[in-house]
Amino acid sequence: MKTRLTLGAVALTALIAAGCGSSSNNSSSHSSSAAASASSSGSGSGKSCKATIAIEGPFTGPVAQVGLEQLHFAQLAVANYNQANGTNVTLAQDDTQLTPSLATQKTQSIIASNAVAAVGPAGSQEVEAVGPLFGRAGIAFISGSATLPALTTDGHNPTFLRVVPNDDIQGPQDANYVVNHLHPKAVLIIDDDEAYSQGLVKTMIPIFQKAGVKVNHQTINGTDTGATLASAINSLVTSQLTPDETVTMLPWQAAANAQQFGLEVQKQGKKTILFGTDGTNSPSQFKIVGSYVSNFGPDISQSSNPLDKQIVSGVAKYGPYGSFGVPTYAAAEVEMQAISAVCKSGQTPSRSNVLAQIRKTNISPSQNPLGVTIAFKSNGDIVGQPGYLFKIESGGKYVAIPNH
Amino acid sequence: MHEFIQTIINGLETGFLYALIALGYSMVYGVLKLLNFAHGDVYMVGAYIGYYVLQAFGGPTALSIPVPLLVFLMFVAAALGCGLLGVGIERFAYRPLRDAPRIAPLITALGVSFILENSVLLLFGGFTKSYSTNSFINVDTGGINIGSINIDPVQITIFVGSILMMYGLMQIVDRTTLGKSMRAVASDREAAEMLGINVDRIISYTFFIGSAMAGVAGVMSGLAFNQISATVGFLAGLKAFTAAVVGGIGSIPGAMIGGLFIGLCEAFAATYVSTKFSDLIVFGILIVVMLARPTGLFAQPALQKV
Repeated sequence: MKTRLTLGAVALTALIAAGCGSSSNNSSSHSSSAAASASSSGSGSGKSCKATIAIEGPFTGPVAQVGLEQLHFAQLAVANYNQANGTNVTLAQDDTQLTPSLATQKTQSIIASNAVAAVGPAGSQEVEAVGPLFGRAGIAFISGSATLPALTTDGHNPTFLRVVPNDDIQGPQDANYVVNHLHPKAVLIIDDDEAYSQGLVKTMIPIFQKAGVKVNHQTINGTDTGATLASAINSLVTSQLTPDETVTMLPWQAAANAQQFGLEVQKQGKKTILFGTDGTNSPSQFKIVGSYVSNFGPDISQSSNPLDKQIVSGVAKYGPYGSFGVPTYAAAEVEMQAISAVCKSGQTPSRSNVLAQIRKTNISPSQNPLGVTIAFKSNGDIVGQPGYLFKIESGGKYVAIPNH
Repeated sequence: MHEFIQTIINGLETGFLYALIALGYSMVYGVLKLLNFAHGDVYMVGAYIGYYVLQAFGGPTALSIPVPLLVFLMFVAAALGCGLLGVGIERFAYRPLRDAPRIAPLITALGVSFILENSVLLLFGGFTKSYSTNSFINVDTGGINIGSINIDPVQITIFVGSILMMYGLMQIVDRTTLGKSMRAVASDREAAEMLGINVDRIISYTFFIGSAMAGVAGVMSGLAFNQISATVGFLAGLKAFTAAVVGGIGSIPGAMIGGLFIGLCEAFAATYVSTKFSDLIVFGILIVVMLARPTGLFAQPALQKV
């Protein structure tokens, strides 16, 4: 009996810990959200306009800082819209840890739920895995960070949309900035063996080669952690970073890894300018002075625009501000507006009518934090949006570089 | 030459950490014949304990006590915390299954690993936490300089601390009553019990010591590599387990040599072949060693009861 009780206690603790660990503590599970959305009604806007949207992101694991930023901005977008428009939209959370296998499981549970649309997932490799599933279910999903160009051109993800420019914009912009402003003889490029990273590298290398810059392309396993990751980083700094390579491109998804790389460079007494892409854009994690970080969204923390101010102060209720989450606010806003429009037309929000409404999106620059018109091309890409670039100054402050 | 020496230093840094974790695997296997897959997560918990001790004394940029005292307290707190955690895991998860088929405690160990990882996520969140060691220890120019190569104070602490702990453990096992009891339990648990040895207590001590060493390794890892997260234990545990098997699981010198061997192989593979293939090479070596010496490099020949 005693043994059984002990085993029972261990099993119960396991269930509680596993369940709680899979999402943030303020999550609304699918079961509760499904119940909330079961009574969807289409009689105009207001409290009767009920629906559920889901968000997929890495809320735990090595890149949790990215996912949590996205989650917090999505929570704020939903809360703001519900409050301002009297809608009753619930946000269900699905932690994917940036892994395609987990994203697939979570997508299947979203499909089985009453969610009418989804925000995310964060990573391009996840979109590759879940795009066909969402497509078959007719669910629109809008990512605020998946930038691999093929996602909107290979035809596998018919219901995928994104509010960020793809790597064909970010990668060349970054490479051109390096060539024109930093003038290296050689660059070290390290990809993290993921679709996101390799996609960016593919767009950068031809630009460097065309400019006569020697390219040393290496790969690191982005899923390694702790001592194993450190061993790989230490070895790369030891063996690959030569005095010629005055710039090191880090198109990585984990800002903490870029920080680790920078610290190791300093420790081994070497010199190089680090250049991270959007995945490393995290002022709380990557703060090597003199480094550059690009992003697909603006930093609105210093903006005087009333909407931006409201968002920056509002997100503090959920977690620390970070510019990585700004596009996800826009993604959630697009879905909220679509649901509201469906309700106003007298229909009950469904996957098909919300998807159709999302495709008609046209939000003016002054009404969204991206500061550009949000509208979608037929393939799901956003219509024209620039990339952004920051330099890390003393104190780890991200200073925007205009018109780069 | 510079690259070669730097690679050795890199390899020793991770190798000593693998060795400290591998010791716990080896000790527990020696006494219980149990593969304690939760051990890597105990190491992760140690890293978190060290982090919160650091925060309790003002954080990396505003320390309220001298650095040597802080580091000592981090080690002591992690050793005690992880030691007690190890004892608790043994008492509540493994002891009830001691006479169950082998597969039961093995699966339980995996379950405990997930419980620890998810509990840490739940309690401390998913954000990677940083020790920011360079804010309170001069890792760039402090320590020992050999030509252009710098062995920083954290690396020195890892090298010296690990050697001292391993030496201390060997003294305990070889020269104390506790060590003799451990060896007796490892050799034949029932016979040891009949001779008046409190087997439960000896097993608890074994878990305490092994887990305490993993806790210290966790703090060393945080100091050396800065970032910690709830997921750092799994891979480190897997590598340490490989080290223990290569060295000869159950053998203390084997775990030490195995850890250093794996650390150096990983570093040399990453430096001279590719970081992409370092795991392939490390686990390839494991297979080759197993094929050549199925009991590992330093395992004692098993006595055959007749």
